[in-house]
Formats: sequence, structure tokens, C-alpha cells
Amino acid sequence: MTPSRRPAVKAWRLRGHLKETCGHPDGVSPAFGSCRNPHCLRSMRKMLAAVSRVLSGAAQKPANRVLVASRNFANDATFEIKKCDLHRLEEGPPVTTVLTREDGLKYYRMMQTVRRMELKADQLYKQKIIRGFCHLCDGQEACCVGLEAGINPTDHLITAYRAHGFTFTRGLSVREILAELTGRKGGCAKGKGGSMHMYAKNFYGGNGIVGAQVPLGAGIALACKYNGKDEVCLTLYGDGAANQGQIFEAYNMAALWKLPCIFICENNRYGMGTSVERAAASTDYFKRGDFIPGLRVDGMDILCVREATRFAAAYCRSGKGPILMELQTYRYHGHSMSDPGVSYRTREEIQEVRSKSDPIMLLKDRMVNSNLASVEELKEIDVEVRKEIEDAAQFATADPEPPLEELGYHIYSSDPPFEVRGANQWIKFKSVS
Amino acid sequence: MNLFQSITSALDNSLAKDPTAVIFGEDVAFGGVFRCTVGLRDKYGKDRVFNTPLCEQGIVGFGIGIAVTGATAIAEIQFADYIFPAFDQIVNEAAKYRYRSGDLFNCGSLTIRAPWGCVGHGALYHSQSPEAFFAHCPGIKVVVPRSPFQAKGLLLSCIEDKNPCIFFEPKILYRAAVEQVPVEPYNIPLSQAEVIQEGSDITLVAWGTQVHVVREVASMAKEKLGVSCEVIDLRTILPWDVDTVCKEECFLNLEAPISRVCGYDTPFPHIFEPFYIPDKWKCYDALRKMINY
Repeated sequence: MTPSRRPAVKAWRLRGHLKETCGHPDGVSPAFGSCRNPHCLRSMRKMLAAVSRVLSGAAQKPANRVLVASRNFANDATFEIKKCDLHRLEEGPPVTTVLTREDGLKYYRMMQTVRRMELKADQLYKQKIIRGFCHLCDGQEACCVGLEAGINPTDHLITAYRAHGFTFTRGLSVREILAELTGRKGGCAKGKGGSMHMYAKNFYGGNGIVGAQVPLGAGIALACKYNGKDEVCLTLYGDGAANQGQIFEAYNMAALWKLPCIFICENNRYGMGTSVERAAASTDYFKRGDFIPGLRVDGMDILCVREATRFAAAYCRSGKGPILMELQTYRYHGHSMSDPGVSYRTREEIQEVRSKSDPIMLLKDRMVNSNLASVEELKEIDVEVRKEIEDAAQFATADPEPPLEELGYHIYSSDPPFEVRGANQWIKFKSVS
Repeated sequence: MNLFQSITSALDNSLAKDPTAVIFGEDVAFGGVFRCTVGLRDKYGKDRVFNTPLCEQGIVGFGIGIAVTGATAIAEIQFADYIFPAFDQIVNEAAKYRYRSGDLFNCGSLTIRAPWGCVGHGALYHSQSPEAFFAHCPGIKVVVPRSPFQAKGLLLSCIEDKNPCIFFEPKILYRAAVEQVPVEPYNIPLSQAEVIQEGSDITLVAWGTQVHVVREVASMAKEKLGVSCEVIDLRTILPWDVDTVCKEECFLNLEAPISRVCGYDTPFPHIFEPFYIPDKWKCYDALRKMINY
């Protein structure tokens, strides 16, 4: 392909990319600058950069990094963040925070990785390479990355089924996550768990039954207290699960025994297809713990989430007992891949959140405006992330499935291996643990 | 009608006939995640067809309460896999109400409906068949239909039956199974198994989706082995029709031990589903081994 034809091909690809990946409503290439969709603008800039490279005759090899002009970046910047609503608390998290350049770049990369990973999972699902259930968390990146930023790797976390982001922030690679989604043996649960059942060190999943993970989280918190290592447990659930009985049982136990448990309600406004107003008598989820103090946090602002998490973790570590955080966030996709996500909410609403409150956009704007990073630098990160995801997707597609013998493995812990009955009494499988 | 339409028809008949009947569960108002309640809220009003929040134990407990006052409660559990938070309410409250009150109170007008069984991509928590857990609980009835015609008649019988009933609907058949179904109400008696095909050499007993698998196995057996199979659809799991399935003396006359063909003794897997389910080949294999015993 001659260099002069590349821009045309790129423009055509951009159109397809806009339609599929950016979620642009019409899939039509907007006029420059008139589209408010940050993804479109980003892609536009990339295309422009590519075109200008072609025209200036610069080398095209993707391995060569575009040299970022060495300019002086600020080391850190102070930002104001939204004040949290409080319940039974005299003081809340601070309203200003310092973000270092290093942290900012790290958070940006992590959020972008989660975003691209979820979009890739969407793509693979539509190609039927991922089957079964797939609940995506794009839009909620500030929650998983922000929470991780506020705790230590030795702290514990448990959540429900919208867990891919947390699996990543808790330390697993994109390869392992995508391979688990495609059900291959390179997956983190050896291909036996799928989307809803991913686990890592100090990350207890990945739970399919709504609300069932909350008493588990309280139990982990008990172990933290018992072991005396100053660790806390973050126990997450959604706005739909907030109406399950076992959550209130967990609240009571945690408060009674002063467990270092941070209950976190990820309120993305819809429990599957039911809006919070139609499901809950009280939508002040941060107050639902009643005797447990609570705070309501802007879940689209990563710095807000981070500060609130630091505050909550400090509260728990000081032995005062459990605390409740409500993260107000939003998911762009539907509940799962079989939900288009527009029958119970309008496209305009989704677009509005995307254009005004997208967590990645908010962080990027802050960093660029405070001279913590340049647009080009962040774009470089985008390119690297994209490559990482592509490689991971390749692996996830090419890796073999677990061998059939493993069907019976890991039912019990048993030594020696025992026999598992198959579909009839003559089919036997070995169970090894 | 297909299976979900026959369910809608049965519910429609019930709500029309019985002014105290109410339908509730997660997402039933817009029609339900499997479309079983489409149109009912518009027709009968939002005080008779309404959504509950996400709380299975609450749904069943609440349903027992409605039924105790005499109204007809039709509760939906969104997937049979989610019925376990409600297990205590079903087993300890619903099943024992009449017995423990000496027949003073009962929740007989409660019916719990739930989509049931494997569907091809459900993995651990959208594929379970939990009827066995309830099969040992005196006081409730457990019913699994195999087709739209059966479903409507059995569901109407469950609703009208004066005992709490659990009605499992094979979700894989919701759209796949289509039959002529009368629009007017009709009943199919509970606790009666149906002999679908007479035979003399071997008996195959199944319920729900498996009936169709077993039917195919029967014709394979006839063709390849010349074996004449009797196929029985159990229909009601509890209390089950012992008489049709085996006469008193039958155990002494069996020429081979009874073989149970089912899923593996593992949780319902994510990736191994096609190997896990007892498809026609596994059943046929078992049949051959029994014939050659």
C-alpha cells in the first residue's frame, strides 16, 4: 500500500471504529471538533497524527516511539474534589488531594486498560469466541482503579459478577482474564469459572449469586481482625443487591463485632433493568447501614474514590468498626451482553454521562490542564495499551481449552483422588485436588 | 403456542377466573425475562401483576403470607438457581404450615414458578435443576412439564391445587417447543405420570427436557438394537406416581439394576457443558449396557 493511500484506509477504518468501538450514536464520522464524544476526539487526533506523519515522510514503524518533546512537567498538582455526603460521621474525606505525575500516569494506564479490555471482551463475545455470561464494567473504571489506589495489596476485596476490572486491579494480567472469559486453560480459574468467577491473591471473586458475597466479605474482615495484621476487607455489591436480606445480616454482624469491613455499594442506577427508584424504598444507599456510618462518593472521579477509600480504610484500621461507601457510578453497556441497555434508559442519558462524566476523560483533562502530562504522552499510553490487549486477545483465542479429564477436578479436597460419577453409572471421572 | 406463551395463557386464565390471584417476582411487570408474563399487567392492572425487589427469600415469604389469607399467590423466581435463599421459607414454612397448625391455616394457594434446567450456555448459575432438593419435603408438590400443552394444564392444576406447588419450566423449551394449545383453561392432573410410548423390554423414566432426549433414545434403540422401550414422563416429581412407574413386585423381576442417567456429580461447569449433560448418546450407552447386563 503506498503511503498516500494510508490516510484513506485509516479514515475508513476510523468510521468502522467509531461505529463499533466508540459507540457514536450514528456511526457517522462527525465534523471535526463538533462531536463532544471524547473517544471520537481521541481517535480523530490519532488519525490526524498518523496523517501528518505520512505527509511529513516520517518513519511508520509502530515499534518506533513518537518522541515526546522533552518539556518540564509538573511533579504533582493539587485538585479540588467533591465533598462527600456523610451519614453518622462528623468529618469526611478531604476536599482537596495531591496527584503526582507518576500516580496520574499509572491510574490513566490502568483505567484505559480496563476500558479497552472490556471493549475487547464485547468484541470477542459478538464473535462468539466468548460464550455464556459477560458483564462489562466500562464506565466504572474509576471505581476499581480508585479503590485499589486507596488500599494496600495486602488488603482484601470481594465483589459480585461485574468483576473484570477488579480482577485486573488486584493484579492479574489481561491475558489471564481474557483467557478465562474464552474458557481456556490459561485462564485464571483454568477455564472453569468464566466471566463471573475470577480470583486472585486477596481477591475473592467474582460471585454469581447476587448479594451472596457480602456475608463472605464480613467473614474475611473477621479474619483480618483476628490475624491482627491491620488489613481491611472491601466488600462490594450493587444497587440491586442492596435489597437482599443477607446484606443486612452482614451489616449487623460487622457492626456488632467491629469488623474492619468497608461495605461498598456500586450504585450504577440500574439493577439489571430496574432503576433504583423502582426497586428501593430508600435510594440513599450510604445510609442503609443505619447504625453503620456512611459516605456517598462521586464514583466517576478517581481522585474522589481514592480519597474516600483512604478515609474509610483509615477508619476501619483504627478499630472503629465497619463503614459504608456508596459509589455513584454508571455503566455504558447493558447489564450483560444480552441486554442492549437502552430499553430502560435513553441513549441520550448514556451519551450525556459519556461526554460529561467519563472517568478517563476527567482524569486526562485534569492532568493535561495541570501540566502533569501531555496529550501525546497519554496517546502513547493508549497505543501501548491497545497492543497489550490485542496480544492478550490473541492468546485468549489461541490457547487450548482445558482437557476433558479436568471436568471432575477440584470438587473436594481429597487425597487420594476419588471417582466421580458421570452421566450414567458406567462413566467415571477422576477427581484430583 | 410455544412454552412461554402457554404459560402466559395459563396465567391469563387464572387471573381472569380468580379475582384474588396476583403475580409477582423480579421483572414480571414488563413481561419477564422470558416473556412469560407479557401483557398481563396491562390487562389486569398493576396491583395484580407487580415487580418485587431483588430478594428471593422475601418473595417466597411474602407469597406464603398472601396465600395464608386465602388469596392466590403466583410467585416467580427468576432462575431456579436463585431459589436457594428461599429454601428455608419453602421447606420450613410453606411445606409445614398446614401440618403444624392442625389444618387451621395453610398456604395452599401459593404457586412458585421458576425457569429450570440447562440451556447450552448457562454455566454454574443459570442451568441448575434443583427439583431433587425439594423431592424429600412432604407438604409441597413439585412439577416439571415437558411441552407447552402439558405446561398449561399442569400449571393451572398447580394454581388450583390446595397445596403449595413449585412449577419448574424448562427454559431451553421456552421458544423451542411449539404445540397446539387450547386457549380455554384445562387441567392435567398432578401426581399422574404419563406413559408416552408403550414397550416391553426396558422402561425409561424422565421429566422436563429429558423426555425428548429419551424419546429419541427409544427410537434409536428400536432401530439399532431391536429393543422395545417404554417411555414414561413423570410430570410430578413429588408426590410421584409410584404405581405407573413400578408395581410392588417389580424389583424382584428386574433383569438389570436400575440405572440413573443424569449430570455429572460436579457443579454445572462453564466450559464443559456439552460433556456434562446427559445427551442421547450417554443415555443410549446406558441403555445398551443394561440390555447386555
